[in-house]
Formats: sequence, C-alpha cells, structure tokens
Amino acid sequence: MSISVEMFGIPRQRAGVSQALAEGGQLSEVLANLVHRFPRLGDECIAEGRLQHGYLANLNGQRFVTDPATPLAPGDSLLILSADAGG
Amino acid sequence: MSTVRSSPQGYHGCYLRIDVGQPTLERIPLAETELRRFLGGSGLGVHLMLRENSALVDPLAPAAPLAFVFSPLVGSPLTTSAKFAVVSRSPLTERINDSLSSSHFAIAGKRAGGDAIVLVGRAAGPSVLVIDDGQVRLEPAGDLWGLSCSETESRLRARLGNDFQIATIGPAGENLVRYATISHAGRHAGRGGSGAVLGSKNIKAVAVRGSQRTPWAHPQELVALAKRLSDKSFGPATAKYRELGTAANLLVFNRLGALPTRNFQQGSFAEAAALSPEQMGETHARTRASCAACTIGCEHIYALGGDADNRGGVRLEYENLFALGPMCNISDPDVVLRASRLCDDLGLDTISAGGTIAFAMECVERELLDAPWLKFGDGEALLRALEETGRRQGLGMRLAEGSLQMARTIGPEALAFAPQVKGLEIPGYEPRALQTMALGFAVGTRGADHNRSGAYEVDFSEHVDRRRPGNDAALLAVETEDKAALMDSLILCKFLRGVFVDFFTESAEMLNLVTGWDTTSEELRETARRIVTAKKHFNVLCGWQPEEDTLPARFLDNPLPNDLSATLTTDRLQALVLAYNTARGWTPDGYPTEEGLDSLRANG
Repeated sequence: MSISVEMFGIPRQRAGVSQALAEGGQLSEVLANLVHRFPRLGDECIAEGRLQHGYLANLNGQRFVTDPATPLAPGDSLLILSADAGG
Repeated sequence: MSTVRSSPQGYHGCYLRIDVGQPTLERIPLAETELRRFLGGSGLGVHLMLRENSALVDPLAPAAPLAFVFSPLVGSPLTTSAKFAVVSRSPLTERINDSLSSSHFAIAGKRAGGDAIVLVGRAAGPSVLVIDDGQVRLEPAGDLWGLSCSETESRLRARLGNDFQIATIGPAGENLVRYATISHAGRHAGRGGSGAVLGSKNIKAVAVRGSQRTPWAHPQELVALAKRLSDKSFGPATAKYRELGTAANLLVFNRLGALPTRNFQQGSFAEAAALSPEQMGETHARTRASCAACTIGCEHIYALGGDADNRGGVRLEYENLFALGPMCNISDPDVVLRASRLCDDLGLDTISAGGTIAFAMECVERELLDAPWLKFGDGEALLRALEETGRRQGLGMRLAEGSLQMARTIGPEALAFAPQVKGLEIPGYEPRALQTMALGFAVGTRGADHNRSGAYEVDFSEHVDRRRPGNDAALLAVETEDKAALMDSLILCKFLRGVFVDFFTESAEMLNLVTGWDTTSEELRETARRIVTAKKHFNVLCGWQPEEDTLPARFLDNPLPNDLSATLTTDRLQALVLAYNTARGWTPDGYPTEEGLDSLRANG
C-alpha cells in the first residue's frame, strides 16, 4: 500500500524532496521504507522504524502520532517534520 | 590577597541604580535569598520592578524604572548564556514586560559591576548613557537623534572605542512608539515597547564596558559540562535552527492551517512557498551568524535582491516573516526583507508592527478607516506604513499606539478583530488551530506571547487534539510556561531546549557549578512557579482584571474559514483558563493566593 508522505524542514533537506510515496501499512513500515529510499533520513531523523528525538509525524494534518504500530489507510497523508515549532 | 565575598559566586550581589537625570549611580545590595529565589533575567527583573514599586508608575514617566538584567550564567562558558533581559512596565500593555536579547552587551553589562542596571529619571536632552566600569556619565546625543539603530551603534563604537558594547533605540523609541525595541548588534529586545521607555528618558543609547568578573564555584567541572553541552548543541536537536532558521516553521504552519494570514482572516497562505527559507535560499544569498558564546548559529541573513541597499543583509525569523508577509498578504520576499530591515533600522517590534498594520488594512477594507492607500498585498503601502509609524507621521500617529488603542478609537466592531491580548499583538500561531497556545496567549502576563508560554509544543504532540484540547492541556501549558520562566531567568536560549533530557535537573547542575549552591530540580520548579506568580502579582498591582485573560471575539465561536473543525468556543477557553488557574494554585478567577504571595517575599 502506498502512502503519500510530505516532508518539511530537516527531513526535506535530508531527503532532497518535499513529497514522496512510501510503502507500508503502519507507521514503522512507512518510516523504514523512507530510509530505504532516502538513506540520509537514517542519519538523524529515523532509526529502526521510529522517528528520532526532535522529529514528529502527523497524520493527514490532523493528529500527531508516535506509535510505530499506528495503522495507515489508503489515501492517508503522512507529514514528517522537525519538532521545535518555536520562532 | 584574597577577598571575602558576601554574595554567591556568579553574582556581584548588587544592582546599579542610575538616575539619568543627574546622572548618579548607587550600588543597591541584593541579598542571597533574593538572588536564589529569582535567579536573574526575567525573574530577577520582575522582582526588581516589585521592589522599585513600579506597578503604579506611568511606564513613560521619568520615575519609571527600566532594568537591564543579567544572570549568574552570563560570562560563563555555557553555550547561549550571553543574554540579558530588559524589564519594565510596558507602555503598550501597561502590564509587566520582559524582553530578552543577546550577545556582548550582556557580558560587558555584567562586568560593569552589577547583576542588573536599573535606569530611572530623565536626561535634560538627548543623551548617551556611558557606564564605564561602574562610573557613569552622559554624553550629548543630538547628532545621533533620528539615526537608525545600526548607524547609532557604529558611530558610537567609533567615538568611544570597540571595547564598549552598545544598546540603542531607533527613531521609533525616540518617538515613543509603544512597541519600540532596544537593539544591540542587530538583535532586539523586541516586545512590549522597552525602546519607548528608554526614549522617554531621553537616552538614545547605553554604552557599557567593564572589567569586574564574577568567579565560578567549580570552574573545572563547569568547563567540562560546558563542553558536553556544546557538543550536544551541534546535534540533530538544533539542526533546524542551524540549517534553515526559525523561518522553517512557515510551510509547516501553512500545511496545518495555523499560519495567520490577512490579519487572522485565514489560517493558510496560498503563496507561502515563495517566502519559505527553502525557496528563498535558492533565490537570495544567505549567510549565518551567531550571538556571542553560542554554538547553534540560528541567524540566517539574506541578501536583498536587485539593486537594493545591501549593507550586511537582513536577519529573517519566522515571526517577522509571518507578520510582514502573510499577515499583510505580502508574497514578495524582497518586500518582506525590506520591511524587516526597516523595522530593524527604526527599532520596531516586527510582530506588533505587522499586526497593527494588518489590522489597519482590514479596517480600511471594512471602511472603518479612511486610508485608501493601505491595502492588503500592497508592498509599498506596508513600507510607507512602517516608516510613518517609526516617525509618528501621518497615519503613523495612530499605528504607533498599537492595535488595541487604535481599535478603541475606531469602535467595538474593530475591537473584535484587533489581533492582540492585553494590547500585545499575537505572534504567528493561529489560536483556533492551536488551542493550547490559545490558552497560553489568553493567560500570558505579557499578553499574547510565544516566548513566555511554549504551549504550541503541546499542540504539536500526541497528548492533545490541538483543535479540541481537554482541560489536561492546561497542566501541560503550565509546564511549558515554567520551563520558559526558568530559561529566561538563568538565562539560556530556548533554541537549546531540545538538547536537554531533564531540563530542571540539568539546570540545577549548571547553576550549582557556577554559584556553589545546592539547588535541586524541585527547588527550580518552585522558583519557576514563583517567577510566574510574581509577574501575575505585578499585573494585579497594575490593575489586572480577570476579563483580560481571553482572546478577541474573532477567535471565539467562529471557525477558521479554511478549517471548520478549528472552532474555539468561549466555553472551552473559559474551562481551560479555569484549569490553568487551578493548576497554578491561584483563585478560580486568577488571583494569586496569600500563600503564593508569601513565596515572593525574599525574606519570608
């Protein structure tokens, strides 16, 4: 199952793209697939199917998720972003 | 020969109280109990404002005190510790105001021999206050009056020497614009109008140098800890600040419908990408800079395009980007850069300037204000409005008062959409899309404030539904406010917060190595709560009323047009405020209790 992924901030810098399709039925699988496709995300953003400290995932612009087992459905959009929102 | 110190390490144990009308300087002792209870920066600053009985003094009257407050960590090798707070009663809100800035002025100011410099009085004419290692004099500033912040600073350094560090106001401070800043090395103590307070004293600039260092209790261990902290500060927790700067927020907020646009009429901006650091980095040369004693280097300085004046580039942060861009419906990056530079030169707080002008643009659109030239999306109109504000010319006479005062002169309809809380313009967080932050804005002692409350962190987490937070969000908001109170009093930069695993415990370790104290994380939590209560107490003395802790009508019971689920009901906000007051241990309507007030008394 393909999930649409939007990347912001450092994840976008590391991946070199703002959007991508990734395979997986749950959060950990999609994150692992992203590292496979964009190895530099594994440098500091994602490790072992989890986001590293300092990074967040948001589902469909609605809710933030951290549980690697979070199920994803066709049509979902996953946002990956840097955690600190302060300006 | 050793000397016996009566104050803890890291402190001078006194503040310098300068009457600029004479000028005279007194060294006023600070007891160790006062220092331990309020630390430095914002905490010690509000304590000094209470001690100086400034709550009932007109902020622009000669008797009103203005404090530059340092901290035990200033001058230490700890990264990001070269910071100072500027504290006074705000001429914009008439409540407490503590704005922070950074770099060499903090170090030089502390070396002048006090833990704070408190100015009172009014000079007979435009003057520069020179504090030379604890000696004070005034120099005439007639030749500097009307000059920009940066020009004033460079002329004074040429006149006095490079070992002086200078904090200055621009024309906005001279003209008592209620959101004028105090600038040092291109950075600003920005919010709440401290520049107008300095201007009201006829002080164009404060120049300081000194040689009086304070020792550290455990220097070897402190240096080792500082090295570990610096190493961590190079890691992923600060990568966003290093590589893109705070402007990286723009596209995230836009995607989440939380980017204030057209004076908060929308939560997203169709042309946001053009202003993003990702895109501007392609079209504009960009360099980085750091404050003194900082290993993060968050400042991203952009060159202006075309044939514009390119002296030194323009610092761009998320807040000036949002306020001078989407808020005013401006999508041309060169206009935003020129507007940011103009604010820096005039000494204007970009958030309040952009917010007030966006408000005026909406008034024009609704035919409540007769200034047809001032239209959303018109870059030249934005630049004209900024210039007129800083110079208090034309419409600037009204814009200089801020959106709340301006709305009061227009009428109740305008009050509903003036983008402020307690008179302080709302920063770049749409309250309906980030409702824990809405609470933080409503109860903020300084007004709508993202620096004293980090409640947006709660919204950016799985702990709450950001568009329907429960009352437990109030507890989390209190936690962010307490953290901010401690950071602002130690003082450390908030961009460092991601590197700490247990901030209160690690702060206690840093503080103990400098001072020789035996503070614990529990003590520092209590200290943080005391500082927040002290600010509230100050506001109560100023005349604060519970009905101030709310948001303008626009944000209540009206959904965001682009996100109908983002509706903040009056009932929900009131429930959150009640939960917040309860969590603070205050009365249900927000007054500190006798027990809380007892903790403010230094010798109690």
